[in-house]
Amino acid sequence: MMDDDPRAEPERDDRILETMAARLALLLAWPLPPALLQPPLDLVMAILKRRHPGAFERLTELPEAEIVVDPVDMPMAFRLRLGGGEMRLSVCRRDDIGEPAALVRGNFAVLLDLMEGRTDGDALFFSRELTVIGDTSPVVALRNAVDGEDIDMLADIAAMLGPFGRLVRPARGAASRARSSLVGLHDLLLGPALRRVEGVERRLTRLEGH
Amino acid sequence: MGAFELICPAGTLASLKAAVDAGADSVYCGFRDETNARNFPGLNFSRAEMRQGVEYAHARGKKVFLAANTYAAAGRFAPWKAAVDDAAAIGLDAVILADIGVLDYAAGRHDGLGLHLSVQASASNPDAIRFYQEAFGIRRVVLPRVLTTADIARLNQEVSIETEVFVFGGMCPMAEGRCALSSYVTGLSPNSQGVCSPAEHVRYEERGTQMVSRLGGYTINVFEKDEPAGYPTLCKGRFVARGKTSYLFEEPTSLNAIGMLPELKAAGVVALKIEGRQRGRAYIQQVVSAHRAAIDAFGAGRAIASDRLGAVTEGGRETTGAYTKAWR
Repeated sequence: MMDDDPRAEPERDDRILETMAARLALLLAWPLPPALLQPPLDLVMAILKRRHPGAFERLTELPEAEIVVDPVDMPMAFRLRLGGGEMRLSVCRRDDIGEPAALVRGNFAVLLDLMEGRTDGDALFFSRELTVIGDTSPVVALRNAVDGEDIDMLADIAAMLGPFGRLVRPARGAASRARSSLVGLHDLLLGPALRRVEGVERRLTRLEGH
Repeated sequence: MGAFELICPAGTLASLKAAVDAGADSVYCGFRDETNARNFPGLNFSRAEMRQGVEYAHARGKKVFLAANTYAAAGRFAPWKAAVDDAAAIGLDAVILADIGVLDYAAGRHDGLGLHLSVQASASNPDAIRFYQEAFGIRRVVLPRVLTTADIARLNQEVSIETEVFVFGGMCPMAEGRCALSSYVTGLSPNSQGVCSPAEHVRYEERGTQMVSRLGGYTINVFEKDEPAGYPTLCKGRFVARGKTSYLFEEPTSLNAIGMLPELKAAGVVALKIEGRQRGRAYIQQVVSAHRAAIDAFGAGRAIASDRLGAVTEGGRETTGAYTKAWR
């Protein structure tokens, strides 16, 4: 959908809510000891393997490499080991990144969008919103494998949670409706005032023209 | 189909579906090997994925073309034969070829398979195009990105097959299919192995606030903080000549001729091609939608919106390339 398409706005706002929720979940989990953090990350890998076997297979078939994904607006980074028949995701402190084969750096929202194929990696690289350091080969392979799948992490997690997963869709709908209600309330409360300001601005513009 | 046939790229099955859904008339893609000129890690189609893609497109009345447009290696012809045979077996609508050996094989073995001459063949004059038409029965030629619209109009008066031109995407400033810049540095060829600046030879390094782009161990560009970047190709590298550092061949920029549909129509062009099989499906969706809208607007006599694609261009810059070049 184009940026100037009015239908894009609710979709974009819903996406902001989802990104905020993912960020909040990670921030709440971050102080936990590594032994407690690792199981959810293993679950993410299990989801990828179960729901996107093609991408998983392509990534495990690569030569072994370690990529660190560094969301600059978060306190942690993610270490992804791929190739050699398996794939493992773990979390690390930013000052403990070491010397991976490649480092991918960007805002959390940008990286999440990239993982779900919602944005173009090359365009982000051209505009310098995405930084790649080191060997580009595993990064290109990862990008292409992930982009070739319809990954929707929330839907994927919901599908893995069984009966509890059924709550995700209504929760998404409720969040979207809450956003719409907030927008409606905003329009109701501020609409008349904003229209008056716009009217004054138009009159001032006309006066300046004389 | 509207005023032009819109030919769109796909490096993955998801991108093919995105292209079809966004309004492509035809999609071009390649197998996951050296037979196509975008032989990048994790990209391209297995035979099973190609079959699924063709089914998806055909069910919606769209076509799929196979790009098998690299030059076959002497004494090792099997991958190119397999690509052509499998394209025919899977039911692709045409194959896009450049090598005369592969063209001869396809023309001799697969009667009903459409043959398009790839941009990699660099056929830019009536004599060259007539040769491929008479020898192999090609239906269409993809013109190299070196011709002005006036050149294309003159050429179309002298040839009797369809012409297709690039309308958007990465620029290749060299004689296509003849460039050996990347080969000199990496030992791998864009023309015969499909790898221009292969990923395993590209490294990025941080030098303070600068980003250094290296190919095959050589520094080919240095970008200042927040300076828009481009692909790590030698043709878009910055070099020191006579004491001055500058882009010698081509600056990082993307072709955007979406505003030139009237001129291209008047020049007799039948099909418009979008470059970018290596790009993500978000690019495919955005660029194909914009071109579908532009072609439909042009067909209906409405104004063409041409200002929507700046965010996906290389180096954040656009050009109309050779179509409007003033120098010879």
